Amino acid sequence: MRSRIDRAVERLAFWTAMLGGAVLIAVLLLTVISIVGRGLIFAGLGPIPGDFELVEAGTAFAVLAFLPLCQFHRGHVTVDLFLARVGRRPNAVIDVIANLLMTAAAAVLTWRLALGLLDKRSYGETTFILQFPVWWSYAACLLGAGVFTLVCAYTVARSLGETRGRDGTRKISTR
Amino acid sequence: MTSLELGLWSFPVLLALIFLRLPIGLAMLLVGFAGTWLVTGSSVPILAQLKSLTYDTFSSYSLSIVPLFLLMGQFATRGGLSQALFKAAETWLGHRRGGVAMAAVGACAGFGAICGSSLATAATMGQVALPELRRYGYSGALATGCLAAGGTLGILIPPSVVLVIYAILTEQNIIKLFMAAMVPGVLAALGYMITIAIYVRVKPDSAGQRDPAGRDERLTALIQVWPVLVIFALVIGGIYLGWFTPTEGAAVGAAGTGLVALFNGGLTWRGLGECITGTAISTGMIFFIVLGAAVYNGFLAFSQLPQEAANTVATLGISPWLVLLAILACYLIFGCVMDSLSMILLTIPIFFPIVSALDFGLPAEEMALWFGVIVLIVVEVGLITPPVGMNLFVINSMAPDVPLARTYGGALPFVLSDVIRVAILILFPGITLGLVRLLY
Repeated sequence: MRSRIDRAVERLAFWTAMLGGAVLIAVLLLTVISIVGRGLIFAGLGPIPGDFELVEAGTAFAVLAFLPLCQFHRGHVTVDLFLARVGRRPNAVIDVIANLLMTAAAAVLTWRLALGLLDKRSYGETTFILQFPVWWSYAACLLGAGVFTLVCAYTVARSLGETRGRDGTRKISTR
Repeated sequence: MTSLELGLWSFPVLLALIFLRLPIGLAMLLVGFAGTWLVTGSSVPILAQLKSLTYDTFSSYSLSIVPLFLLMGQFATRGGLSQALFKAAETWLGHRRGGVAMAAVGACAGFGAICGSSLATAATMGQVALPELRRYGYSGALATGCLAAGGTLGILIPPSVVLVIYAILTEQNIIKLFMAAMVPGVLAALGYMITIAIYVRVKPDSAGQRDPAGRDERLTALIQVWPVLVIFALVIGGIYLGWFTPTEGAAVGAAGTGLVALFNGGLTWRGLGECITGTAISTGMIFFIVLGAAVYNGFLAFSQLPQEAANTVATLGISPWLVLLAILACYLIFGCVMDSLSMILLTIPIFFPIVSALDFGLPAEEMALWFGVIVLIVVEVGLITPPVGMNLFVINSMAPDVPLARTYGGALPFVLSDVIRVAILILFPGITLGLVRLLY
């Protein structure tokens, strides 16, 4: 039986990814509309000004919003060659270490991203065409990075549970 | 330790971490972080770099093509286009000896034209074609082998996610790279079909008979694939003709396949959610490796290793062709255990300067395109070689009655076909570069 925490974390990762997906689809539609507008310049229409700046900001947000789900579903690429035969327990211990390191990395990345946000805000840096403050995009990304760190921390606890064999099956992702 | 030695030592450390089953992106991130710290003697530079590196990497306009292509592939899978492609190929080729397997390869090539990922192509076409292949009496080895090999066409035929990454790493024009991969991609599909033709003549009991389809059936089936043709022509044609940037092309393609999925009824709210979930996991995986590689490659640049390695190899006076062969051999060996994207991100920053410093009798840009396409093919071979060939795993998991060893065996003739093709492409760079020369 899965715990309530497990389900709550999955839901958090899932909805964060959905938010990223919504932004990605918005980026897609914006780009298509911009191309159509550019094709209809003769009819008095035009491309959306600064569309590529929105594409860049949107993609960055979407990617960070996707990372928690990837971590939750063990989506990261690993080389499963030498340790495939050593049994479940040693592998579970390695999972704990890998997830601990991942959590540390995620925390450092989030921390530095937050400092980067402060930098961009104090410089008052804006994008070239649309002139919107760059720190807005940083703030949006910080949301994804924060959730990523949380989910990483949860996966440490999850893999600890697996070393005790409480959770039974350990899935190896095929992605 | 000098910085150069640190750069050299980082490789065994990195490989050790990777073989200890640490996520590849994480291993690169950690080694790059520690390495930069050691080389610069303080934690300040790397920490300062990380303030903007994450955002700068993820907001790169050239990389924004990747999630859009992945979404396009998800929509294409949902839209039933794989069934239509296989049906069309089957009615035209199915009655030949080994024809249904050839049809599976042809359909993979068609699906590769709207999908930039090998695994997705293998998985999607496997679901459609595997039951049919078994129904017509094809052996487990041939059925799984040809689909695993056909899957690699997903990345060879543009659009291709790995080529996008190569283009960014080497600062090449992505449009020209897509163009350069075109003819080799078609050659790959033809080569696989020839392989099948030989295979069924050597082992006649590995394929069954299928009655020829009538003319009406063929035409109806062909008409069903029009969305694939339209989307491919629009995306690749539009990019080649300069109507839009590659990223815009990816957006158009994703919108097109999304519409097809919507009309075919595959895109309910639930279906859309699954498309986003699939895109999210693949995107997260790819971008985390890209971020790790950015940190690691930053460290390598600090250590001066790439320039030194290039100088050393250039002054050794070894034949450039020997160096090229050695590099390709490295890729074949690493490909047995590592995935293509990680390999490209890990090795191109070292190998590309080395190859660039050598003289193959080609202008610098043409050499970069030619080398990129050859490397792409060689790393894709890794997907169908044991022990770790992801395509083999994906297809084999769909055929529970076929032992993995049979799938390994079934894929082997296709590996041979790949090797022959690589040799031809190395000997005649004009095959790869012809289309680029013609259109530019």
